[in-house]
Amino acid sequence: MKDVAEKNRALLHFIVLPTILLTAGLLGGLRIDGQTRQFVFIAPPLVTLVLAILSGALFVRAGAIDLHRWLAIEQPMLTNVAHLLTLISLFFASAQAFNSVLPESGLLHWMFSFFFLWALWINQFSNFDPRRLLRSLIILFGTAFVLKHLLVAALYDPQGGWLKAIASTLLQGISIDVPRFAPITGYISFFALALYVGGLLLLAPVPPDNSGVNKLALSEEALPESSGQSSLE
Amino acid sequence: MQTRLIQITGIIWTLVYAGIIVWIYATEPRSFKEVATNSQVAAGVYEINQEKFNNALALFRREQFRAARDEWAGADPAQKDPRTQFYVGYACYREGWGRVYYDDALFKLGLEAVNRAIALAPNGTLVVDDPNLQMHSAAELKAELEQGTETGWKDVNPLKLFRQRK
Repeated sequence: MKDVAEKNRALLHFIVLPTILLTAGLLGGLRIDGQTRQFVFIAPPLVTLVLAILSGALFVRAGAIDLHRWLAIEQPMLTNVAHLLTLISLFFASAQAFNSVLPESGLLHWMFSFFFLWALWINQFSNFDPRRLLRSLIILFGTAFVLKHLLVAALYDPQGGWLKAIASTLLQGISIDVPRFAPITGYISFFALALYVGGLLLLAPVPPDNSGVNKLALSEEALPESSGQSSLE
Repeated sequence: MQTRLIQITGIIWTLVYAGIIVWIYATEPRSFKEVATNSQVAAGVYEINQEKFNNALALFRREQFRAARDEWAGADPAQKDPRTQFYVGYACYREGWGRVYYDDALFKLGLEAVNRAIALAPNGTLVVDDPNLQMHSAAELKAELEQGTETGWKDVNPLKLFRQRK
């Protein structure tokens, strides 16, 4: 029974988690052209890489990732390589999650970027635990998603609607240049964000013990109660 | 031992999957069909649609150049066959050729196609043995297309009215 649990934990940690994060990364830059219905792949802009670094720093500061236990000299090389790949996947998924909710160009792109930079920068100086950080990120991405895929998309809806009427009145005289994408882009973005958040939920602050080294480390240092468990538990 | 195996599988799988994602973003396919075509190219098993190619050639010989180009585009969606690209360039040349002036846009398209053909040909040399053509090498076609896109005093030479399309 214990073997099965260990095997499942290893499968989740070394195969499922990177797959979820990479899939979020794949979908985060995918859009569907509004007219031709063709795929448009948008590589992460430079600003999303900066945002991903800031969010990574937040994960470490809040204790959502205990970097010393993810990458340790005492661990076998194979374990370190697997962990490093997972962390790189997380970085890529973060960049693409931001890419997914950032307008592609124009004034709104820079406004959203500034909003994200400001929020993440301010959070660097706040006290967070992993759960609060996760909640905060869900709200951050949720807000940006609603703004981009509901509000801004409504502005360009050819059929119009009350939202378009209100927004047009509010933004009268301001030209907002945003490429027009098919409504399915919003669903793809939602799925990408859901996968990203799911990946974050599965991410354990301390990777599951598989080499015996962590046991030693854990006994030597006092850890917070939540360590070693994923944010879900 | 089992954990070790899972770790190795995870590492290989993560690298392969990440590679696929990078490849997708680098090739930017526009549809699932294009994903399949690009995969064939990457695997080295890509082949043009011979039936469409022959249809296009028949259209080309009947001087229906635009239709021929469309058919060739369908025959070689990945634009990886040098011979097809040569013919696309030739179709642009013949369609864009005029006794008084050349169609710049078509000549530029033709130049792009013939450049692709040269880049894809082994050693950068491509010769097409087609008795219906007057230019058989990609280099010849390229020079003709380049001359057509250049502007100069020769453009006002009245004798150019007597020139012949190749």
